[in-house]
Order: sequence, then structure tokens, then C-alpha cells
Amino acid sequence: MVKRGVKGKELRLLSDEGVEAIHNAALDVLRETGIDCYSEKILEVFEEGGADVSDKRVRIPEYLIDEATKKAPSKILFCGRDPKNDILLEGSRIYYGFGGTPTPLILDHRTDEFRRPTKKDMIETTLVGDALPNMDFIMTNAGVFDVPYEVEYLHELDVLFNYTEKPILYSAPGSYLARKYLEMGIAVAGGLKELQRRPFITLYSEPASPLMLTESQENIIEFAKANIPIAIGPMPLSGGTAPGTLAGSSVIGNAETLAGIILAELVNPHAPVIYGGWGLTMDPRSGICAYGSPEFAIGANTITAQMARFYNLPSYGFGGCADGKLPGPQSGAEVMMNALVAGQSGVNLIHDCGYLAGGMVGSTEQAVIVDDVVGMAKRIVQGVRVDDDHLAVDVIKEVGPGGNFMTHKHTRDHVDEFLLPELFDRNSFGTWQSRGAKETRTIAKERVEEILKEHKPEPLGQEIREKLSKVIKEGKKELITKQKEAEG
Amino acid sequence: MTRKEEVFERVEKSILDFDGDKAVEVAKEAINSGVEPVEVIERGVRKALETVGKKYETGELFIIHLAAAGEAANRAINEVLKPEIEKKGEEIHFTGKVLIGTVAGDIHEIGKTIVSAMLLASGFEVTDLGKDVPIETFVREVKEQNPDILGMSALLSTTIPVQKDVIEALQKEGLRDKVKVMVGGAPVTQEWAEEIGADAYGVDAVDAMKKARKLVGA
Ligand code: B12
Repeated sequence: MVKRGVKGKELRLLSDEGVEAIHNAALDVLRETGIDCYSEKILEVFEEGGADVSDKRVRIPEYLIDEATKKAPSKILFCGRDPKNDILLEGSRIYYGFGGTPTPLILDHRTDEFRRPTKKDMIETTLVGDALPNMDFIMTNAGVFDVPYEVEYLHELDVLFNYTEKPILYSAPGSYLARKYLEMGIAVAGGLKELQRRPFITLYSEPASPLMLTESQENIIEFAKANIPIAIGPMPLSGGTAPGTLAGSSVIGNAETLAGIILAELVNPHAPVIYGGWGLTMDPRSGICAYGSPEFAIGANTITAQMARFYNLPSYGFGGCADGKLPGPQSGAEVMMNALVAGQSGVNLIHDCGYLAGGMVGSTEQAVIVDDVVGMAKRIVQGVRVDDDHLAVDVIKEVGPGGNFMTHKHTRDHVDEFLLPELFDRNSFGTWQSRGAKETRTIAKERVEEILKEHKPEPLGQEIREKLSKVIKEGKKELITKQKEAEG
Repeated sequence: MTRKEEVFERVEKSILDFDGDKAVEVAKEAINSGVEPVEVIERGVRKALETVGKKYETGELFIIHLAAAGEAANRAINEVLKPEIEKKGEEIHFTGKVLIGTVAGDIHEIGKTIVSAMLLASGFEVTDLGKDVPIETFVREVKEQNPDILGMSALLSTTIPVQKDVIEALQKEGLRDKVKVMVGGAPVTQEWAEEIGADAYGVDAVDAMKKARKLVGA
């Protein structure tokens, strides 16, 4: 059964003219200035598709943009390995995702140490993501850094395929890794047809700001050919790789994303794509990409969702991520803000839950906290039901002045409509104190341990596991020898 | 105030106003009025950059100001003052000469650009090689430009190893002893810097500036 996500609220911060202005501005930039493509393969596609190509500069006429956004489907069924995890990307339905691209550090929940993650760490974080009830799709909160760097992504994909039954969204820069990602997906699905019928993987491809597509984006070609979904989202930073305004950053983000979408649709008309035309922000003091800023929350979500609705495409945003370095007041406030804004905006895929320190650090402890925050955000977005049953006038009259609603059946019938946090403490003060006066972080760490002890996703069959290992082994041979040859 | 001091002040102000055109214009005026170009740099350009650098450290100004002041200063130096100084057969005294770039395979360049601006503000001569810089380019430029410091930025697990490759390539070419190597980028650590035999690691732009000064004994 498909999980039909909570319908987000379609928050509007841009007027219709504002949306059109960002669209027109991107058209203007793509037509006049164009984008630079550092890939022969990509240049070829644009050239054949009718764009104006000179050297590596590609200028894109309006009709290609219109055609591409029209051809791309407006809905995508993003499956889980287990069908009960399938999610339907349509309209303003919202889904939250565990982690993002591989973080260079994790916050070890056992030792409180920040360190380089290993494959074992990624297995643990993936299990936590798979278990958390509000996490609808899975990326990562740890990279695999104890393997040769050439094969890092293959090992990360191996972990995802093995340890989650939820939809997998991941990056695989360049055509080689993209083909391997597909090969692994096909192995698990039992064939390309099967994978296409129930796509439980999606590619995340990240154009380079400002206005560049590199060899990394050749992965779009591979996934478009295979007709498997592609989420496209660049990271323009206001004042750094984009103009120093949110609107300007959104124009750049929109133009880059449209370029990626056109590439996909030229390769395969009707290829499923997910729009992430983010306008993001750089902190002007430190230069970091400010994941916890209010402008980031609206640039990544509200504007993105409004633009995606304009193009009638599924959308991709950010939530549950923080600039705070530790779970605590700053990161708590930041994740509530962006998770809620994302939900209120009705952006479909909301990723990076559990990120700390602006994406430098992944944390399972933070992720279980964020899971509760996301629960609250989803609850708020659901709003209030007002009908005869919920107004409960009959019940009020029945109980009358001075009465008590505690034992009434109506109360029991509706008690499940209240969100009960898994983690946040709502005991009375005395109870909390008598039970050890535990801090949220302590409770979060215990929850992580509990999950690791108990949660066992359905393992893949022996034969499939061997196929995945074979892909890694071949990859190791091919990638590392290729590297050696290039050097020698 | 003497006429000369007035000239220095106008150069300083143009940079504090982040106005490159003006900086070029007043630098030209200074030369025309017979002021020594070396003095214009030391008492006008440098003074402005020092102010901006300090204000960045204290949080009054941001990196965008640092970068813009650096650009204005560079224009005055490169378009006007440096050619004059060379004509006279003299030399500009920099704190040191730095070559910097983001390593091959990596296009994250905001951090590297900020570090360049900071170094410039603290009196270094900086050549920015850009992003995705091939190993051979680093080696060739070190050979040709003979800098005091080579700075390398990397932000990806897949490109951090390239910092090591560059150091090895320098060794192979017999250049390693001729240049100090400084590394950085968000996931780079002091331990990694030591492991690959770099001379310094900078955690952020201010730290990079301090370490660079130390490397050249300033
Ligand atoms: C913006 C960004 C991008 C932009 C870069 C735009 C540009 N033109 O620069 C784009 C969209 C292109 C991009 C692409 C990718 N990115 Co990126 N990106 C980021 C992000 C969000 C911010 C980086 C940044 O600009 N920081 C701001 C500056 C100021 O910080 P900084 O670079 O660290 O620099 C400071 C210090 O480190 C130091 N320093 C820097 N350089 C030097 C040099 C010297 C000599 C010294 C002394 C000091 C020093 O001083 C600086 C100032 O204080 C980071 C997240 C993060 N938190 O870092 C991810 C991040 C670095 N990216 C990441 C990834 C995975 C990618 C991609 C591979 C995505 C993908 N899967 O397809 C591609 C790779 C492209 C490539 N081949 O390079 C990962 C890396 C993880 C890993 N495995 O190593 C990160 C950490 C995000 C994440 N958690 O997944 N990215």
C-alpha cells in the first residue's frame, strides 16, 4: 500500500508575479548567458537537442525549457524495497528524508566524539534511519571513509541496499558510478523492467554553481536513459556563487536545475525528474553554507515548492538540518524552523534530517531528535478538523457544567489524533526528576542503542548480496586501475 | 597634512570604499604627482588592507568586504603601481608570495577564495590558480613562480588524497624543499596535514593567515 504523505500547506511567500519573475529571469540567463558544460557527452546532447552550443558554452532557448518541463511527469511513485514504504510524490504531499550526501564526520553517540565515519558507522546510521517512523526516505548521516576513496560511493550504496527497505535517494557522480548504482538497483529489483516498475532508487545530481554542469552530471544521462527518477538540486550560495540576495540566488538555482531537467528530457522525453531549484545562503561572516538560516529555509523550500508547482513537477527541499554543532538549543531551534517551513511549503522530498554543523557532521542522536520534531511538524501541517463529530456539541451537552470528559467514549475515540512524541519528555516535573532527570540527549542516545539492538530490516538474499559485492570488487579494479593509468 | 599624506589617504579611502576604479585612478594621480609607488603601496594600499583585515577579525566587516577590498587593492597594484616599480627596477616587499588553488577533481572554491582574500589583506602576494587544478599545474607554477607558500584546498573525501599526490609530485621534481605547503578545506585536519608532510594546516581564513605569516617568519 502506498504511503500517501501528509498534504503540505502550499505556503506562498512569492506572489504569482514573483514566481513568473524568477522563471523569466532564469529564461533570460539561460538564453543570453547560458551555462558552461565541462563534458563532451553533455555538450553533444544539448547540441543535438537544438541548444546554441559554442565551445563549452550552452545557450538554451525558451522552447526547450517549456518542452522539457511539460514532458516531465508531475507525479512519481518512489518505492521502497518493501512496498509498505512506497511514497507518492504528487501535489503538496510531504516526506522527510534521513540525512543527505555523505558527511565527512559523525558525532559518535557512544563517546561524544566527532570523527571520520567508517562503513560500520554508516550501517548503524542507516538502520536508525530505517527504523525512525517519520523518516520516509533514506540518504545518509555518515560517509564510508575506511575504504579506498575511489570506491567510497559503491560501499555507501551497498550499505543502503542492504540496510534499508525505505526509498533510497543517493548521489553517484559521473557516468561510471551512475551505471554501477543502476546495476546494483537492478540486481536487487531482479531486472531493469522490475526496477522501472517499482523504482526504489532515485539519483541525486548536483549541478555546480554558478551555471555549470560538469562530468558529474553525466549521471543524469545514465538515469534518464534507464528511466529511473532523478532529483536535481544545485547549491548556489548567496554572495559567493550566486548574487547576494535570496531572489538572485533562486534565479541561479532555478536556471541550473532547469538545465539539468532539459538534459534529462532531451535524453529521454518523459524521464522522471524532481525539481530542487534551491536558492541558498552563505553566512557573510564565515562563508559557510548556512543550513540553519531562515533564508535557507524559505529559499530551499517555499520558493522551490512554488516554482515546482509552476512547472508542475515534484519538488525537493531541506529540513531537519542545522548549523549547530551539537544536539541542543541552537540545532533544536533550527531544525524545528526548517522542518516546519518545509512542511508548510508542501515541498515533496525534504532531506538532510540529522545534519549538524552545516552538513559537516551526521548524527544518529540528532536524527532521533529530529524525528520527533518532524512528527510535530507533520502534525501542525495537518491542521484542525472541524465537523460535527469534532465540535462534539452533543458530548458537551451530555457531560454538562462541572462534569468530566475523561471517561467519555468520545475522548477515547479521538485520543490517537494527538501526537505523542517518541522522545520528548512530557512527564510531570516530579516524575521526570524521580526517573533520573534525564537530559534529551541522554534519552536520544538510549533510543539509538535500542534501535540498534532491535531493528532488523529484511536482509537481502544471499545471491543478491553477492552480486552487490561483485559490483564493488569490479569497481575497485576498474576505478583504481583507471586512476593509476591516468597518473602513470 | 602634507600633500603626500593626502595622496596616501585617498588611496586608502578608495580601497576602504571597495572602489577599484577609484583605486586605479588615485594610484595614477599619485604617480603623476611624483610619489614613490612603493610608498603608495606601503602607506596607502597596505594600510587600508590591514584595517579591513582587522575589522574582519573583529566581526565588523564580512568576507565579502575582505574580498572586495582585496580586489580593489590588486587592481591598483597590478594596473598601476607594479608596472611603475618594475620600470624603476625596484621590488615590492610582500609578506611573502603564495600560490593557492583547489585540487584536481574538486570545484569547491568559496573557502579557498576567502583564504586568498585574507592573505592578500595581510600583505601577501597571492596567485589564485582557481579550482580543479591539475597536479602538473601546481608543480609547473611552483617551478615558474617560486612562491614561499603553496596553499591547497580540498573539500571532498575523494579529493583530499590529491593534496598528498601534489606533495609527492613536488618531491619527485626536487621542489619540495623550495616551498612551504599549507593545506585546508572543511574536512582536512591537522593530523592529515602531518601525515602527508604538509608544513601547516589552517582551520579558517584567520588561522590560515596566521600560519602563513609564521611560515615566512613574519
Ligand atoms: C557549496 C557546496 C558545494 C557547491 C560548491 C560551489 C563552489 N563553486 O564552490 C557545489 C554545488 C558545486 C558542490 C558540489 C559537490 N559537493 Co559540496 N558542498 C558545498 C557545501 C554546502 C559548502 C562548501 C563551502 O563553500 N563552504 C564554505 C567555505 C567558507 O568553507 P570551507 O571551504 O571549509 O573553507 C574554510 C576552511 O576550510 C579554510 N580553508 C579552505 N580552503 C583552504 C585552503 C588552505 C590552504 C587553508 C590553509 C585553509 C582553507 O578556510 C575557509 C574559510 O574559513 C559543503 C558543506 C560544508 N559544510 O562544507 C558541501 C560538501 C563539501 N559537498 C559535498 C559533496 C558530497 C559534493 C558533491 C560530491 C555532491 C555530489 N554528491 O554530487 C559535489 C562535488 C563536486 C566536485 N567535484 O567538487 C560533501 C563532501 C562530503 C565528502 N564525502 O567528502 C559536503 C561536506 C556536503 C555533505 N555533507 O555531503 N558542493
